[in-house]
Amino acid sequence: MEADLLNIQPASPEPIYRQIIAQLQRLISSGQLPPGEPLPSVRDVAGVHGVNPVTVSRAYSLLEAEGFLDRRRGIGMVVATRTRRAISDSARLEQLDRPLKEVVRQARELDLADQLVLERLKTLLKDEK
Amino acid sequence: MVGLIGRNGSGKTTLIRILMGLAQPNAGRAWICGEPALSPGDAVKARLGYVPQLPDAFGWMRVSDMFDLLATFYPDWDSQFVQQSMQRWNVDTKKRLARLSPGERQRVALTRALAARPQLLVLDEPASALDPVARRELLRELALRAADSGTTILFSTHIVSDLERVASRVAFLHEGRLLLDTSMDELKETHARLTVPSVSAASLAHALPGELRRRKRSDGSVSLVIARQPGQDWPAAAQMPGAQLETLSLEDLFIEVVE
Repeated sequence: MEADLLNIQPASPEPIYRQIIAQLQRLISSGQLPPGEPLPSVRDVAGVHGVNPVTVSRAYSLLEAEGFLDRRRGIGMVVATRTRRAISDSARLEQLDRPLKEVVRQARELDLADQLVLERLKTLLKDEK
Repeated sequence: MVGLIGRNGSGKTTLIRILMGLAQPNAGRAWICGEPALSPGDAVKARLGYVPQLPDAFGWMRVSDMFDLLATFYPDWDSQFVQQSMQRWNVDTKKRLARLSPGERQRVALTRALAARPQLLVLDEPASALDPVARRELLRELALRAADSGTTILFSTHIVSDLERVASRVAFLHEGRLLLDTSMDELKETHARLTVPSVSAASLAHALPGELRRRKRSDGSVSLVIARQPGQDWPAAAQMPGAQLETLSLEDLFIEVVE
């Protein structure tokens, strides 16, 4: 994996280490980052995104503790060969809560009927298949 | 990396000058590395680096001569780093310091401070003379260097985006007072804006736990900035009907608390 695949938004209310954790969790649980895939070094990520290396390393350590990453000598971090627990649909769905809540909030501000919003979401989901 | 942020005139430079023993406080005492800031011992002095806002020392010297001279003072001087850094930033080291642009002078001064490998480096608006691209580049360099060498960096700025990427700790200075001083991640996770609609606003007669700011809006609703302890829940008021809790970006939070 290359460091520039991460999308880091420093001005977001979400702390940078959480953004890194959430994105890697998504990529790993969906299989887009296969087991054994090496991760970019902390220095790489920090250099490419201009963020503090301490922040990146904090995210990596937490992902290691959660069983998403393994630390290999000489290589650095890789995607764990067997994730200690399969990541359930509901756990993955939970990761969508934050953006969905934002959609709900804006839908209310726009005074849109639920049905219209749901249909729009269905169309968008179909388009991206 | 600690970012000291405050508006112009909030006291950032004064605080730094007091820390560096360059100014005497009207009241209170300042300590640096466990020693009085006005008279630190030689061991502490040797571990300190300081770059003022407008570095103007050695103006008559050529850049290369100044670096050669300083190298003789510091046992740990990193001349390889000096060379790399001057090359990367395209500074002509044959020029006299007074002839450099303000941005170049700032970069030379930072290189000088970093080459001595200080344990504590204090920078007063280190990027003030640089354009946005160069600022980000410079702060990135500082963060990498700090992580490699274990240097603690305290830097002041009035620009929020300077802090967002690199600071691991943030201190808000306002009218000479420190309003907040916490880790960047914790700051974002423990502060939020709570908006309560007018129908429920009456039950908010007393300040909520952790309330920092309260503003009444023209429609009768109330907007609060609240802080919670790490790992604790938001106050129960966040569950009131119609209440909305939104997390805040650093910029929003800064504006909310200093306004």
